[in-house]
Amino acid sequence: MRKDIYEKMQILADSAKYDVSCSSSGSDNNHKTGELGATHNSGICHTFTADGRCVSLLKVLLTNFCIYDCAYCINKKSNNIKRAAFSPRELADITINFYKRNYIEGLFLSSGIIQSEDNTMNMILRTLKILRHEYRFNGYIHVKLIPGSDEKLIEQVVALANRVSSNIELPSDNSLKLLAPNKTKQKVLQPLKHAREKSLEKDTKPIGMSTQLIVGATPESDKDILKLSSVLYDKALLKRVYYSAYIPVNDDKNLPAIINKPPLLREHRLYQADWLLRFYDFSYDEIVSDEFPNLDEEVDPKTSWALLNLQYFPMEINKASKDELLRIPGIGVRGVFKILKARRFKSLDFDDLKKLKISLKRAKYFITCKGKYHSKTPFYKEDIKQAIIAPPKKKIIQPSLFDINYSHITGEL
Amino acid sequence: MILVYDKTFEGFLTLVYDVYYEKLQPKKILTKFPNTLLLEDILEIKTDEEKSLKVLEAMKKKFPKKCFELILNIFMCDTKEFELNLLRYIILGFRDSNELFNINQKEVFFLQNLEKELFRHVHKMTGFARFEELKDGTLYAKIETKFNIVYFLGKHFFKRLNNQNYIIHDINRKLAFIKNSDFLGVQSIASFEEPKLSQNEQKFKKLWTTFFEAVAIQTRENKKCQQNFVPLLYRIYMTEFL
Ligand code: SF4
Repeated sequence: MRKDIYEKMQILADSAKYDVSCSSSGSDNNHKTGELGATHNSGICHTFTADGRCVSLLKVLLTNFCIYDCAYCINKKSNNIKRAAFSPRELADITINFYKRNYIEGLFLSSGIIQSEDNTMNMILRTLKILRHEYRFNGYIHVKLIPGSDEKLIEQVVALANRVSSNIELPSDNSLKLLAPNKTKQKVLQPLKHAREKSLEKDTKPIGMSTQLIVGATPESDKDILKLSSVLYDKALLKRVYYSAYIPVNDDKNLPAIINKPPLLREHRLYQADWLLRFYDFSYDEIVSDEFPNLDEEVDPKTSWALLNLQYFPMEINKASKDELLRIPGIGVRGVFKILKARRFKSLDFDDLKKLKISLKRAKYFITCKGKYHSKTPFYKEDIKQAIIAPPKKKIIQPSLFDINYSHITGEL
Repeated sequence: MILVYDKTFEGFLTLVYDVYYEKLQPKKILTKFPNTLLLEDILEIKTDEEKSLKVLEAMKKKFPKKCFELILNIFMCDTKEFELNLLRYIILGFRDSNELFNINQKEVFFLQNLEKELFRHVHKMTGFARFEELKDGTLYAKIETKFNIVYFLGKHFFKRLNNQNYIIHDINRKLAFIKNSDFLGVQSIASFEEPKLSQNEQKFKKLWTTFFEAVAIQTRENKKCQQNFVPLLYRIYMTEFL
């Protein structure tokens, strides 16, 4: 029976939803006169789902048919689920009409493998050609490359996309062998390497590329994961690595036994650590080591680093260099700029920082202002950590129902 | 002393002129005469083109471009009481334009934050505004916003919808940014009739809602979090929340 377009949308959006890399930020503003669409540097959220995630792209699969049987994947061949496929024209039309209504920033297109790798890649390419050439669409397009497809097809897709990616999924070859036997790290990185080589031959800016790792399905440590990310960043192969807490969708003897909750906190800590790699000039072995191969779940990685390196603290807010300021827990890039700006006019004390709306919740344990240390907590690793995890309770004079309800609303503790 | 002006930009510049040259010490700046009896002196500022142009020229000459733009932007924050701070800011700038960047100054900090709030609002609306396709292909968006931002939105969509005609209609302020073959810019809209939608409009609305519901992960539902990101205020015209 032919499926109507709404049912296809339902199926193909549903099966793409666990893919995390949906942000369109970081692409240049590049509108052209007489065309439809531009990309926006900071990324724009167009709505939020009922689970609170930002929607900025039409994120769908071209098809959820697949000839393979990867253990963790909802679309694997042996699963008995509803299947559907968009035609390239259907998908292009929907994209354009969504874009015009300002529902989306662009398209995130991924696919199961239908008939063969080349056939799938070809359908993706046709969709892109309709969008770019026929509709003169100049907005954001992110394509998941199909590992194992013809390099010529990959080249053509790369030429039309704003960003491409290929998911490594699992941080080691052993794990891949176990759970996704048709994949190897080599094979999934191959299209990215090829795309990069090709784009280096031209002297245009290389295309942005990213990958995704599933966290918690296999035994690798955070160190293994961050080391891999850091190598990928250093070789400039990738712009972004996404981490996705493993959500069980299938029963499989090789997958971890039923877990109650996806390791969301671990995912969150990995993103924080990744952020330190990309924007704060940390190296991975400052954050994790053989001694502590996993990130501390109780405090964020920057705080954790500071606690292990108390010799650099407390830092004098009025003297510390920009690089030093950036290492203070709780003070972000924006906070650092505010401090540097305000410091030009006067030497800052604790109240000045408050006035600048710099969050001192964590920072106060690591700084002095005009030589004064403001925290009453003794300057020892364990004491500070304890204070950060469970800040001493303020005395509430009249605890009432009102206080409780109020904190419920603001989220403050 | 309380000053009253007519809420126009020219009126405000006239006010700056009078305060500066007549050494007034306003404690409050209002846009309407208060109803209640107050002990303070009340002075009504009469908008004066010549005075306002003088202040405008002086600011253009003396103030760095960024600060001049800030002043214009603050004026778009029409639901906030910014007048006293803006007045002090301008006087501060005439004394020493370097001080306009000193965020230890109360009014500088206040205005910079208000400007940020404005741009945050603009940014949100660039995502949350929704267009509908009319019979003739024009894209039409209704908005109700905290600040007066049609101009900023119009500019934003000029890049995106470059080969399209579109209208962004601020229902409450009765303004619209219009782009078609004979006009580009903001116009006031005295009255309007509900326009006719194109044939395809229902189909794409339904497809969008289908997509929106399919991508949510039911087991992680968190409506409160969703509402933090998209407050009800923004949802009035968002297809997926109707
Ligand atoms: S090849 Fe991709 S879509 Fe197919 S089963 Fe494996 S992960 Fe799923």
